Amino acid sequence: MNVKEEAPPKYYPVKLVWTGGKSGNLIVEGKATIRTGVPSGGPEEAVLHSPEDLFVSSATMCYMNGFVEFTKKMRIEFNSFECDSVGTLEKVGRSFEVTKIVMKAKVGIGSEDIRKKIERALDLAARYCFIANSMKSDVSHETTIVVE
Amino acid sequence: MTLPNPFSVDLDLRVSVIEVSDETHEYMVTVDWKHDRVGTLGIVGKPSVEVSSPPEFDGPEGIISPEDLFVAAATSCFMTTFVTFNKKMRIEFKSFSCEGHGTLERVDKGFQFTKLLLKAKVGVESEDLIPKTERALELAGKYCLVSNSMKCPTEHENEVFVEK
Repeated sequence: MNVKEEAPPKYYPVKLVWTGGKSGNLIVEGKATIRTGVPSGGPEEAVLHSPEDLFVSSATMCYMNGFVEFTKKMRIEFNSFECDSVGTLEKVGRSFEVTKIVMKAKVGIGSEDIRKKIERALDLAARYCFIANSMKSDVSHETTIVVE
Repeated sequence: MTLPNPFSVDLDLRVSVIEVSDETHEYMVTVDWKHDRVGTLGIVGKPSVEVSSPPEFDGPEGIISPEDLFVAAATSCFMTTFVTFNKKMRIEFKSFSCEGHGTLERVDKGFQFTKLLLKAKVGVESEDLIPKTERALELAGKYCLVSNSMKCPTEHENEVFVEK
């Protein structure tokens, strides 16, 4: 991996404090605390975000942010964006791995004439999603653009 | 009329787990953009989380970013895997906290996470539990499915101490 010198690295510190069972509080300074864990009994634990949820969420979020970024660069607008993503956890060797993530994005636009540009912005967002590029998982995209 | 903040996105993310088989599990999430770079991350049956780009990528201050979630996923997986090994080894601990540090750097194809450092501190009841707890931390690092799904190497700094 060739790291270019000119861009200084960015750091993302998080702090996790165990609160019992398989649960903990994830703290990113100055931001909302995320209760995380794996359900291992009580009904309260069912609402915790599991590590797998967070993993799939981070790639989905990054795809959306990239899309927003490219639409701004291209000076185009959209009305709505939603994305359903499915991550698949499978046994690889002796351990488990998230082997693939399938993202289905749906974008609502105001008129037919910007369809091609929106498709291009979605392509670029997928290509430059640095979270997905940091994962071993195969990330694929299905996109639908509708005139609203 | 409220003008949309150009740096916020509301994301609605719904995740549900589909048990394909004992060896395969699927995780579904939904993201709904609200405005600009802010969204609400909602998962079926779980509290929603407001998310956005971080300030260094033109997002607002104080909102969880995908970069935070990426580092958080590995840190949280390390903890739950550690708890699993503790149970298997029939040992107990009093406290666990872990700092996760992710490093995002520009590589050939844009940015990529190049390193993850997990610094765990575990408090145990007595001196004799230290070697086994260290072993559980080592195994948790090895079998952490989230960091095993990432390209970047994960480094660990573990500290086990007797908690009075």
